[in-house]
Amino acid sequence: MASGHISNGEFFTQLASLIEKTQKKGHGSVHLTQKRLSYETTAAPSKDDPLADLNPAAPLPILVRVSDGNTQSQDRVKNKDPVKFATVVQADELETFFARYAEVCKVGMQSLRKRDRSKRKKTKKGGAKGAEAKG
Amino acid sequence: MVNFDTLEEWQTQTSLLLQARPTTTRISTKYNIPNLEAPRYNAAKKRKRDTEGKDGDAAPAPAVPRGTFTLKTFDPVSGATLKFKTDKSADVGRMVAGLGRAGRVMAALPEKAEAPDVAMEDAATTTGMTLAEASKDTSHTAPTESKPAAPAAAKKKKKGKK
Repeated sequence: MASGHISNGEFFTQLASLIEKTQKKGHGSVHLTQKRLSYETTAAPSKDDPLADLNPAAPLPILVRVSDGNTQSQDRVKNKDPVKFATVVQADELETFFARYAEVCKVGMQSLRKRDRSKRKKTKKGGAKGAEAKG
Repeated sequence: MVNFDTLEEWQTQTSLLLQARPTTTRISTKYNIPNLEAPRYNAAKKRKRDTEGKDGDAAPAPAVPRGTFTLKTFDPVSGATLKFKTDKSADVGRMVAGLGRAGRVMAALPEKAEAPDVAMEDAATTTGMTLAEASKDTSHTAPTESKPAAPAAAKKKKKGKK
């Protein structure tokens, strides 16, 4: 990758500003992708051993990418500098990372439908949660 | 491609796919705010002849763009695609928690968080049950057998049950 990976802290500041920018603009998308970082690891499936990746010896880091999806302009010309950044999350930092991730998403994504508090119906969600806890 | 109605379904199917192909499967999240000026949102207005008569109906709806939040699991090797889409902000927290759970599978960490809790609960309930049963047993046996040997017999019975 040309730009390289950024640190987790830097990642969240950039993500927050990208979401805010989209929100101000009034339309647009924020794309987030996560996958296992399998570059330069021995645990990659090959022809000899197609299931080599199923039980790796050590936990693997995860790669999280963000983009605004504007890789092309409207007349199908490649965008020279699209908004694009990525970070690597080590396995032991996963929990803190996703906690912060949820926070950034909840704060930033204001165009989603808010919970309707005026006419509260009988909450189905409460029942579902109860069922989950039981089962 | 499969669109799921509930987050739980998406979660179970995603973790199954991840367990099968942990290296190639990726999970994308898209937060989208639609552009209400785009042609596809204005296509209906062009039919002037239909709407000309009734001006009241033609008044533009309050144009507040409603964002959506989409989860997509994709494995390029098998071509499997699993999707879940919502427009409720209440779902975001649960969805990111789901991403975190999927992340654990991806990182090849053992699944945890809820597993020990459930085990604990189960253990607690089962012990509670056995205690209740035991008390029931004694209450049943006590009135019928008033001999001094009765409690010992009851104890033996319980041991056999367990």
